[in-house]
Amino acid sequence: MLPKNNVFGEFVREKRLTLLETDKNYSLRKVAMRIQVEPSYLSKVERGEQPPPSEAKIVLLARDLGEDEDVLLALSGKVSSDIQDVIRKRPALFAQLIRDLKDMPDNAVLRIIREVRDGNW
Amino acid sequence: MIELMNDSLRFLFPHVHPRARLEVSFVRTLRIPDDGSAYPTPPEMGLYPMVHVDDFEDTVPAHWLERGGVMLPMYQSEALLVRFGGGSPKTSYPFAIKLAAGKVNALTGDEWINHLTPHPQDYAVSPPQEQIDGYCVGRGVVRQFLAMPLGLGYTAEEQLATTAKFGGIQVCAYPMKPEEFQRLSAWADNPFSLTGFSEEQAPFRAEMGLGLGGLLGQDIRLDPFGFDAWDHKNTSRCFVHLVDSALWTAITGKAPPGPAPQAREYNEAGLPYHEKRYAPTPVHEGSRILERLRTVEAP
Repeated sequence: MLPKNNVFGEFVREKRLTLLETDKNYSLRKVAMRIQVEPSYLSKVERGEQPPPSEAKIVLLARDLGEDEDVLLALSGKVSSDIQDVIRKRPALFAQLIRDLKDMPDNAVLRIIREVRDGNW
Repeated sequence: MIELMNDSLRFLFPHVHPRARLEVSFVRTLRIPDDGSAYPTPPEMGLYPMVHVDDFEDTVPAHWLERGGVMLPMYQSEALLVRFGGGSPKTSYPFAIKLAAGKVNALTGDEWINHLTPHPQDYAVSPPQEQIDGYCVGRGVVRQFLAMPLGLGYTAEEQLATTAKFGGIQVCAYPMKPEEFQRLSAWADNPFSLTGFSEEQAPFRAEMGLGLGGLLGQDIRLDPFGFDAWDHKNTSRCFVHLVDSALWTAITGKAPPGPAPQAREYNEAGLPYHEKRYAPTPVHEGSRILERLRTVEAP
Protein backbone atom coordinates (compact mmCIF):
# COMPACT_ATOMS: atom_id res chain seq x y z
CA MET A 1 0.00 0.00 0.00
CA LEU A 2 1.36 3.42 -0.94
CA PRO A 3 1.79 6.01 1.81
CA LYS A 4 -0.82 8.78 2.01
CA ASN A 5 1.93 11.33 1.65
CA ASN A 6 5.49 11.01 0.50
CA VAL A 7 7.34 12.38 3.54
CA PHE A 8 9.86 9.54 3.46
CA GLY A 9 10.64 9.72 -0.27
CA GLU A 10 10.86 13.50 -0.27
CA PHE A 11 13.16 13.50 2.75
CA VAL A 12 15.48 10.92 1.18
CA ARG A 13 15.56 12.73 -2.17
CA GLU A 14 16.24 16.12 -0.59
CA LYS A 15 19.01 14.71 1.59
CA ARG A 16 20.60 12.83 -1.30
CA LEU A 17 20.51 15.86 -3.61
CA THR A 18 22.06 18.05 -0.93
CA LEU A 19 24.92 15.57 -0.59
CA LEU A 20 25.19 15.29 -4.38
CA GLU A 21 25.88 19.01 -4.63
CA THR A 22 29.33 18.42 -3.14
CA ASP A 23 29.90 14.73 -3.83
CA LYS A 24 29.20 12.80 -7.04
CA ASN A 25 28.95 9.58 -5.06
CA TYR A 26 25.39 10.50 -4.11
CA SER A 27 23.85 10.05 -7.54
CA LEU A 28 20.72 7.92 -7.58
CA ARG A 29 22.61 5.08 -9.23
CA LYS A 30 25.51 5.05 -6.76
CA VAL A 31 23.34 5.24 -3.65
CA ALA A 32 21.11 2.46 -5.02
CA MET A 33 24.16 0.34 -5.74
CA ARG A 34 25.51 0.78 -2.19
CA ILE A 35 22.23 -0.25 -0.57
CA GLN A 36 21.78 -3.02 -3.14
CA VAL A 37 18.53 -1.98 -4.83
CA GLU A 38 17.74 -1.11 -8.43
CA PRO A 39 18.11 2.62 -9.27
CA SER A 40 14.62 2.60 -10.82
CA TYR A 41 13.20 1.25 -7.53
CA LEU A 42 14.94 3.93 -5.45
CA SER A 43 13.72 6.58 -7.88
CA LYS A 44 10.13 5.36 -7.44
CA VAL A 45 10.52 5.36 -3.65
CA GLU A 46 11.79 8.93 -3.76
CA ARG A 47 8.81 9.98 -5.90
CA GLY A 48 6.30 8.14 -3.71
CA GLU A 49 5.39 5.67 -6.43
CA GLN A 50 6.60 2.78 -4.31
CA PRO A 51 6.19 2.38 -0.54
CA PRO A 52 9.35 2.71 1.58
CA PRO A 53 11.66 -0.33 1.47
CA SER A 54 12.23 -2.92 4.19
CA GLU A 55 13.64 -2.06 7.60
CA ALA A 56 17.03 -3.49 6.64
CA LYS A 57 17.24 -1.35 3.49
CA ILE A 58 16.11 1.76 5.37
CA VAL A 59 18.90 1.20 7.91
CA LEU A 60 21.43 0.89 5.06
CA LEU A 61 20.04 4.02 3.42
CA ALA A 62 20.18 5.98 6.68
CA ARG A 63 23.81 5.00 7.23
CA ASP A 64 24.71 5.88 3.66
CA LEU A 65 23.11 9.31 3.91
CA GLY A 66 24.50 9.96 7.40
CA GLU A 67 21.00 10.16 8.89
CA ASP A 68 19.59 8.65 12.06
CA GLU A 69 18.14 5.19 11.38
CA ASP A 70 15.23 5.69 13.75
CA VAL A 71 14.30 9.00 12.11
CA LEU A 72 14.15 7.41 8.66
CA LEU A 73 12.20 4.43 10.01
CA ALA A 74 9.71 6.78 11.69
CA LEU A 75 9.27 8.76 8.45
CA SER A 76 8.52 5.49 6.67
CA GLY A 77 5.83 4.65 9.20
CA LYS A 78 7.88 1.78 10.67
CA VAL A 79 9.29 1.12 14.11
CA SER A 80 12.57 -0.80 14.29
CA SER A 81 12.17 -4.43 15.33
CA ASP A 82 14.29 -4.01 18.47
CA ILE A 83 12.02 -1.18 19.66
CA GLN A 84 8.94 -3.30 18.88
CA ASP A 85 10.40 -6.07 21.06
CA VAL A 86 10.92 -3.61 23.90
CA ILE A 87 7.35 -2.27 23.65
CA ARG A 88 5.80 -5.75 23.44
CA LYS A 89 7.29 -6.63 26.81
CA ARG A 90 5.61 -3.68 28.61
CA PRO A 91 3.12 -2.19 26.11
CA ALA A 92 0.95 -0.19 28.50
CA LEU A 93 3.95 1.32 30.29
CA PHE A 94 5.70 2.40 27.09
CA ALA A 95 2.53 3.72 25.48
CA GLN A 96 1.98 5.90 28.55
CA LEU A 97 5.64 6.96 28.58
CA ILE A 98 5.58 8.05 24.91
CA ARG A 99 2.33 10.00 25.43
CA ASP A 100 3.85 11.73 28.47
CA LEU A 101 7.01 12.62 26.52
CA LYS A 102 5.07 13.97 23.54
CA ASP A 103 5.40 17.63 24.44
CA MET A 104 8.68 17.56 26.33
CA PRO A 105 11.58 19.57 24.85
CA ASP A 106 14.47 17.62 23.31
CA ASN A 107 16.90 18.40 26.09
CA ALA A 108 14.48 17.03 28.69
CA VAL A 109 13.96 13.84 26.69
CA LEU A 110 17.71 13.42 26.28
CA ARG A 111 18.10 13.51 30.05
CA ILE A 112 15.97 10.40 30.51
CA ILE A 113 17.84 8.36 27.87
CA ARG A 114 20.00 5.96 29.78
CA GLU A 115 23.63 6.94 29.65
CA VAL A 116 26.62 4.69 30.04
CA ARG A 117 27.96 5.95 33.35
CA ASP A 118 31.60 6.99 33.58
CA GLY A 119 33.25 6.51 36.97
CA ASN A 120 36.67 6.93 38.53
CA TRP A 121 39.57 5.25 36.78
CA MET B 1 26.73 11.31 26.53
CA ILE B 2 27.18 7.65 25.70
CA GLU B 3 24.35 5.20 25.00
CA LEU B 4 24.58 1.45 24.75
CA MET B 5 22.53 0.43 21.74
CA ASN B 6 22.52 -2.82 19.76
CA ASP B 7 25.77 -3.90 21.44
CA SER B 8 27.54 -0.72 20.33
CA LEU B 9 28.58 2.36 22.28
CA ARG B 10 27.02 5.46 20.78
CA PHE B 11 28.91 8.64 21.66
CA LEU B 12 26.56 11.62 21.18
CA PHE B 13 27.45 15.30 21.31
CA PRO B 14 24.17 17.07 20.36
CA HIS B 15 25.39 20.26 22.06
CA VAL B 16 28.43 20.33 19.73
CA HIS B 17 26.67 19.46 16.46
CA PRO B 18 23.49 17.51 15.60
CA ARG B 19 25.56 15.11 13.51
CA ALA B 20 28.35 14.63 16.06
CA ARG B 21 27.75 10.92 16.65
CA LEU B 22 30.24 8.08 16.82
CA GLU B 23 29.57 4.36 17.18
CA VAL B 24 32.21 2.15 18.74
CA SER B 25 31.77 -1.62 18.52
CA PHE B 26 33.88 -4.51 19.70
CA VAL B 27 34.12 -7.30 17.14
CA ARG B 28 35.04 -10.95 17.72
CA THR B 29 37.68 -12.12 15.30
CA LEU B 30 39.92 -15.08 14.60
CA ARG B 31 43.09 -15.34 16.66
CA ILE B 32 45.92 -15.61 14.13
CA PRO B 33 49.14 -17.56 14.75
CA ASP B 34 52.09 -15.72 16.29
CA ASP B 35 54.68 -17.09 13.87
CA GLY B 36 56.47 -13.90 12.81
CA SER B 37 54.38 -13.45 9.65
CA ALA B 38 52.15 -10.40 9.23
CA TYR B 39 48.68 -11.72 8.36
CA PRO B 40 45.94 -9.92 6.44
CA THR B 41 42.71 -8.97 8.22
CA PRO B 42 41.17 -12.14 9.71
CA PRO B 43 37.45 -12.97 9.47
CA GLU B 44 34.95 -11.43 11.86
CA MET B 45 32.45 -13.37 13.99
CA GLY B 46 29.98 -10.72 15.06
CA LEU B 47 29.82 -8.14 17.83
CA TYR B 48 30.49 -8.91 21.46
CA PRO B 49 27.35 -8.59 23.59
CA MET B 50 27.64 -5.73 26.06
CA VAL B 51 25.75 -4.83 29.25
CA HIS B 52 25.89 -2.01 31.80
CA VAL B 53 27.96 -2.98 34.85
CA ASP B 54 25.40 -1.10 36.96
CA ASP B 55 22.80 -3.75 36.08
CA PHE B 56 24.78 -6.43 37.92
CA GLU B 57 25.77 -4.70 41.13
CA ASP B 58 25.20 -7.90 43.13
CA THR B 59 27.63 -9.97 41.06
CA VAL B 60 30.44 -7.61 40.01
CA PRO B 61 33.14 -6.36 42.36
CA ALA B 62 32.85 -2.92 43.92
CA HIS B 63 35.80 -1.49 41.96
CA TRP B 64 33.98 -2.23 38.67
CA LEU B 65 30.99 -0.25 39.87
CA GLU B 66 33.33 2.57 40.84
CA ARG B 67 34.75 2.68 37.30
CA GLY B 68 31.32 2.47 35.69
CA GLY B 69 30.91 1.62 32.00
CA VAL B 70 30.00 -1.64 30.36
CA MET B 71 31.30 -5.21 30.20
CA LEU B 72 31.65 -7.93 27.57
CA PRO B 73 32.60 -11.64 27.62
CA MET B 74 35.79 -12.76 25.89
CA TYR B 75 37.49 -16.11 25.26
CA GLN B 76 41.26 -16.45 25.33
CA SER B 77 41.03 -18.38 22.06
CA GLU B 78 39.76 -15.39 20.09
CA ALA B 79 40.90 -11.83 19.34
CA LEU B 80 39.09 -8.50 19.53
CA LEU B 81 39.06 -5.55 17.19
CA VAL B 82 37.56 -2.12 17.76
CA ARG B 83 35.32 -0.76 14.98
CA PHE B 84 34.44 2.89 14.48
CA GLY B 85 31.31 3.97 12.62
CA GLY B 86 28.39 6.35 12.54
CA GLY B 87 27.60 6.72 8.87
CA SER B 88 29.30 6.35 5.55
CA PRO B 89 32.91 7.62 5.41
CA LYS B 90 31.75 10.54 3.30
CA THR B 91 29.11 11.76 5.73
CA SER B 92 30.45 10.75 9.15
CA TYR B 93 31.30 13.42 11.66
CA PRO B 94 35.05 13.14 12.33
CA PHE B 95 36.29 12.17 15.79
CA ALA B 96 39.66 11.81 17.46
CA ILE B 97 39.59 8.59 19.49
CA LYS B 98 41.91 7.46 22.25
CA LEU B 99 42.05 3.73 22.82
CA ALA B 100 43.82 1.98 25.68
CA ALA B 101 43.94 -1.42 27.36
CA GLY B 102 44.75 -1.54 31.05
CA LYS B 103 45.23 2.21 30.65
CA VAL B 104 48.16 1.61 28.28
CA ASN B 105 47.67 3.60 25.08
CA ALA B 106 47.28 1.16 22.17
CA LEU B 107 49.15 3.41 19.73
CA THR B 108 52.04 4.70 21.85
CA GLY B 109 52.38 2.37 24.84
CA ASP B 110 52.20 5.38 27.14
CA GLU B 111 50.18 5.55 30.33
CA TRP B 112 46.61 6.90 29.95
CA ILE B 113 46.07 10.64 30.05
CA ASN B 114 42.71 12.27 29.41
CA HIS B 115 43.92 14.77 26.79
CA LEU B 116 45.18 14.28 23.25
CA THR B 117 48.89 14.39 22.42
CA PRO B 118 50.07 15.18 18.87
CA HIS B 119 53.70 13.98 19.03
CA PRO B 120 53.71 11.04 18.97
CA GLN B 121 50.07 10.98 17.96
CA ASP B 122 48.27 9.05 20.69
CA TYR B 123 44.86 8.91 19.02
CA ALA B 124 43.19 7.58 15.91
CA VAL B 125 40.97 9.67 13.63
CA SER B 126 37.74 8.28 12.23
CA PRO B 127 37.03 8.73 9.42
CA PRO B 128 39.38 7.68 7.84
CA GLN B 129 40.33 4.98 10.40
CA GLU B 130 37.64 2.28 10.32
CA GLN B 131 39.00 -0.08 12.95
CA ILE B 132 41.97 -0.93 15.16
CA ASP B 133 42.86 -4.61 15.39
CA GLY B 134 45.63 -4.46 17.96
CA TYR B 135 48.56 -2.69 19.59
CA CYS B 136 50.47 -0.57 17.06
CA VAL B 137 53.97 -2.09 17.23
CA GLY B 138 55.43 -0.72 13.99
CA ARG B 139 54.72 1.07 10.75
CA GLY B 140 51.85 -0.79 9.09
CA VAL B 141 51.69 -3.60 11.65
CA VAL B 142 49.71 -4.25 14.83
CA ARG B 143 49.67 -7.12 17.32
CA GLN B 144 46.20 -8.55 17.94
CA PHE B 145 44.29 -7.79 21.12
CA LEU B 146 44.05 -11.08 23.08
CA ALA B 147 42.24 -11.52 26.39
CA MET B 148 44.35 -12.77 29.29
CA PRO B 149 43.40 -13.09 32.96
CA LEU B 150 44.90 -10.34 35.07
CA GLY B 151 47.66 -11.43 37.39
CA LEU B 152 49.55 -13.76 35.02
CA GLY B 153 51.83 -11.05 33.65
CA TYR B 154 50.81 -11.28 29.97
CA THR B 155 48.90 -8.04 29.50
CA ALA B 156 50.67 -4.94 28.20
CA GLU B 157 49.71 -3.20 31.44
CA GLU B 158 51.43 -5.82 33.61
CA GLN B 159 54.54 -5.91 31.44
CA LEU B 160 54.97 -2.14 31.52
CA ALA B 161 53.94 -1.44 35.09
CA THR B 162 54.43 -4.92 36.62
CA THR B 163 50.98 -4.65 38.18
CA ALA B 164 47.46 -5.65 37.18
CA LYS B 165 45.43 -2.77 38.43
CA PHE B 166 42.98 -1.89 35.67
CA GLY B 167 42.58 -4.40 32.85
CA GLY B 168 39.71 -3.79 30.42
CA ILE B 169 39.59 -1.35 27.52
CA GLN B 170 39.32 2.43 27.75
CA VAL B 171 37.85 4.61 25.00
CA CYS B 172 37.60 8.39 24.85
CA ALA B 173 36.05 10.34 21.95
CA TYR B 174 36.76 13.97 21.00
CA PRO B 175 34.45 15.44 18.32
CA MET B 176 35.74 17.78 15.64
CA LYS B 177 35.06 21.45 16.42
CA PRO B 178 31.74 22.39 14.75
CA GLU B 179 33.26 25.31 12.86
CA GLU B 180 35.92 22.98 11.48
CA PHE B 181 33.22 20.51 10.43
CA GLN B 182 31.29 23.26 8.65
CA ARG B 183 34.42 24.22 6.78
CA LEU B 184 35.05 20.59 5.88
CA SER B 185 31.46 20.01 4.75
CA ALA B 186 31.73 22.95 2.43
CA TRP B 187 34.83 21.51 0.87
CA ALA B 188 33.92 19.67 -2.34
CA ASP B 189 36.35 16.80 -1.92
CA ASN B 190 35.98 15.75 1.68
CA PRO B 191 39.40 14.22 2.58
CA PHE B 192 39.28 12.86 5.06
CA SER B 193 52.41 5.65 37.12
CA LEU B 194 50.71 2.85 37.74
CA THR B 195 51.06 1.70 41.37
CA GLY B 196 50.92 -1.80 42.72
CA PHE B 197 47.68 -3.17 44.06
CA SER B 198 47.36 -4.21 47.65
CA GLU B 199 46.29 -7.71 48.65
CA GLU B 200 42.80 -6.37 49.24
CA GLN B 201 42.69 -5.23 45.59
CA ALA B 202 43.81 -8.50 43.98
CA PRO B 203 42.21 -8.98 40.54
CA PHE B 204 38.67 -10.30 40.48
CA ARG B 205 38.75 -13.89 39.17
CA ALA B 206 36.74 -13.06 36.03
CA GLU B 207 38.71 -9.89 35.24
CA MET B 208 40.65 -9.83 31.98
CA GLY B 209 43.15 -7.52 30.29
CA LEU B 210 44.57 -7.46 26.77
CA GLY B 211 47.85 -9.10 25.83
CA LEU B 212 49.65 -9.02 22.49
CA GLY B 213 48.97 -11.65 19.83
CA GLY B 214 50.09 -12.36 16.28
CA LEU B 215 51.08 -9.72 13.74
CA LEU B 216 48.53 -8.17 11.39
CA GLY B 217 49.17 -5.80 8.54
CA GLN B 218 47.23 -2.63 9.39
CA ASP B 219 47.92 1.06 8.86
CA ILE B 220 47.05 3.39 11.72
CA ARG B 221 46.58 6.59 9.79
CA LEU B 222 47.91 9.91 11.00
CA ASP B 223 45.57 12.82 11.74
CA PRO B 224 44.63 14.35 8.34
CA PHE B 225 42.76 17.30 9.91
CA GLY B 226 45.38 18.72 12.31
CA PHE B 227 45.51 18.86 16.09
CA ASP B 228 43.52 22.12 16.30
CA ALA B 229 40.51 20.53 14.56
CA TRP B 230 39.43 18.71 17.74
CA ASP B 231 37.15 19.93 20.48
CA HIS B 232 39.31 19.18 23.50
CA LYS B 233 36.69 20.38 25.99
CA ASN B 234 33.72 18.23 24.96
CA THR B 235 34.76 14.60 25.42
CA SER B 236 33.15 11.37 26.60
CA ARG B 237 34.97 8.31 27.84
CA CYS B 238 34.03 4.74 28.75
CA PHE B 239 35.59 1.84 30.66
CA VAL B 240 34.86 -1.51 28.98
CA HIS B 241 35.39 -4.38 31.43
CA LEU B 242 36.49 -7.71 29.96
CA VAL B 243 34.94 -10.78 31.57
CA ASP B 244 36.17 -14.37 31.25
CA SER B 245 33.50 -16.05 29.09
CA ALA B 246 33.40 -18.99 31.50
CA LEU B 247 32.12 -16.67 34.24
CA TRP B 248 29.80 -14.48 32.11
CA THR B 249 26.71 -16.53 32.93
CA ALA B 250 27.44 -16.48 36.65
CA ILE B 251 27.63 -12.66 36.56
CA THR B 252 24.87 -11.79 34.11
CA GLY B 253 22.61 -14.85 33.93
CA LYS B 254 23.03 -14.70 30.14
CA ALA B 255 24.82 -17.21 27.92
CA PRO B 256 28.01 -15.95 26.21
CA PRO B 257 28.45 -16.46 22.46
CA GLY B 258 29.88 -19.86 21.50
CA PRO B 259 33.67 -20.13 21.28
CA ALA B 260 35.33 -18.89 18.11
CA PRO B 261 37.01 -21.39 15.77
CA GLN B 262 40.78 -21.78 15.97
CA ALA B 263 42.91 -20.40 13.12
CA ARG B 264 43.97 -23.96 12.25
CA GLU B 265 40.34 -25.08 11.82
CA TYR B 266 39.59 -22.00 9.77
CA ASN B 267 42.57 -22.51 7.47
CA GLU B 268 41.78 -26.20 7.02
CA ALA B 269 38.29 -25.21 5.85
CA GLY B 270 39.94 -23.07 3.15
CA LEU B 271 38.16 -19.89 4.29
CA PRO B 272 39.52 -16.48 3.24
CA TYR B 273 41.34 -13.59 4.89
CA HIS B 274 40.77 -10.06 3.64
CA GLU B 275 43.48 -7.79 2.37
CA LYS B 276 42.51 -4.19 3.08
CA ARG B 277 44.44 -1.66 1.09
CA TYR B 278 44.21 2.09 1.37
CA ALA B 279 45.37 4.94 -0.81
CA PRO B 280 48.90 6.05 0.14
CA THR B 281 48.61 8.20 3.24
CA PRO B 282 50.81 9.08 6.22
CA VAL B 283 50.66 6.31 8.80
CA HIS B 284 51.67 5.88 12.44
CA GLU B 285 55.23 4.67 12.96
CA GLY B 286 54.18 2.40 15.84
CA SER B 287 55.44 2.29 19.39
CA ARG B 288 58.93 1.17 20.36
CA ILE B 289 57.56 0.56 23.87
CA LEU B 290 54.89 -1.87 22.63
CA GLU B 291 57.23 -3.48 20.11
CA ARG B 292 59.43 -4.78 22.94
CA LEU B 293 56.65 -6.52 24.87
CA ARG B 294 56.35 -10.30 24.81
CA THR B 295 53.40 -11.91 23.15
CA VAL B 296 50.89 -14.41 24.52
CA GLU B 297 51.84 -18.03 23.86
CA ALA B 298 49.53 -20.06 21.65
CA PRO B 299 46.94 -22.08 23.63
